[in-house]
Amino acid sequence: MFKKLIEESTAKSPWLFHINAGSCNGCDIELVSVLTPRYDAERLGFKLTGTPRHADIVVVTGPVTSQSLPRVLRAISQVPEPRCIVTMGSCPQSGNVFRGSYSVAGPLSKYVHVDVDVAGCAPKPEAVIDGLALATQILKEKRAKK
Amino acid sequence: MMTIVLTALQYLGYILIFPGFLFCFVIGMLLCGIDRKIVARMQKRVGPPVLQPFYDFFKLCGKETIIPAAASKTTFLAAPLVGLAALVVLQLFIPIHGFSAFSGMADIIVILYLLLIPAMAAMLGGAASGSPYAGIGLSREMVTIIACELPLVMVLLAVGKVVGGDAVTFSFSKIANYQLANGSLITHASLIPAAIAMLLIIPGETGNHPFDTAEAETEICEGLLAEYSGAPLAVYKLTHCVKVLTLTSFFAALFLGGIGTGIVVVDALILVAICIVLTIVSISFVHAITARLKIEQVFKFYWTIVTGLALISLVLAWYGL
Repeated sequence: MFKKLIEESTAKSPWLFHINAGSCNGCDIELVSVLTPRYDAERLGFKLTGTPRHADIVVVTGPVTSQSLPRVLRAISQVPEPRCIVTMGSCPQSGNVFRGSYSVAGPLSKYVHVDVDVAGCAPKPEAVIDGLALATQILKEKRAKK
Repeated sequence: MMTIVLTALQYLGYILIFPGFLFCFVIGMLLCGIDRKIVARMQKRVGPPVLQPFYDFFKLCGKETIIPAAASKTTFLAAPLVGLAALVVLQLFIPIHGFSAFSGMADIIVILYLLLIPAMAAMLGGAASGSPYAGIGLSREMVTIIACELPLVMVLLAVGKVVGGDAVTFSFSKIANYQLANGSLITHASLIPAAIAMLLIIPGETGNHPFDTAEAETEICEGLLAEYSGAPLAVYKLTHCVKVLTLTSFFAALFLGGIGTGIVVVDALILVAICIVLTIVSISFVHAITARLKIEQVFKFYWTIVTGLALISLVLAWYGL
């Protein structure tokens, strides 16, 4: 019973940690708009945390520049299991218009396992909420497997 | 022999079920859930479900607990439990109408000390985690505690003077009995400024907006809690929820005593209702209409306005008004 309770709670209380890996700030603003009164992701239990230790879902924006890559990997490794990695926008997924640049080390999936990709430049808040809701289901499955 | 066993069982029931751990757990979480919902409604949001703190708690219980390499393991893990235990013990001292699980000659002084322990435990745990963010959070938490403690003591002195007459009383049962005989202390004109001061102390002591400088998540990565994860973090979140219950019921017992029927279950429900109203007034409304203060502003606010209010009450009470 206790196990079941924890599984259900894991899907209902996902805390986000946001990493900016060289983003142009467009996706960052869209992520914040998800938490505003119009879309209010807090009704699904989402909350922005200040430290990776408290997080369940890591949201990465930006094309992962070579300067930010070691920091991104270090921050992700500090998130306790079970965790989920969501890339937001086209940049961390494919490099977008920065693809091939000397300073871009992405895409992120070359370095860590990415659970959900939310494409778009920048993605609509509805798409972001959809991606995050998918991530909570993946979190729950990961918790159940443990 | 039989009576000893029965008394032991009775006290065990007090500590574990009512008004101890289980009561604190459920009602504290409920208060925090209502607080989050009300804040969301005031910001025109739908807000999380009222049971959200329960989900957060159980989720954190199922997460991995990471102990940083730089941390001192025993202190890091024991600190949250010590803080929670102190708060549960504190709740046993607070009278519900006529009923109190523990009582003594000077339990107000015991309560003052017990109220410090969760903050001290959080500081110890933060210091043991070895994180520089926790270091900043630690110094801010210390300043907040010092800022809150002076007006709190003055409020308690004013209440003690009104109840005790010639000799200031530090006995909670005396305060409860006085209110049973003479009506709530909030109707006492000289204690109204003290009640307002106490309402302003509640968000400071619990570390809620706008006095959450020690745990500023956007500024210093949650400060003292920066390195905590998993079950110890769940205990810290629970401690925060219980603290809301403890302080609001402390206010209810000090100023709104004498409201009740004498049947413990009904009185407990009345207390919960009062606690919900106090949480909304002193925590949710303040949270929704203010932004986080800087630490020196917190200190200045408590040592001028709040201490001033408490001082007015103290002077009025001393001249017997």
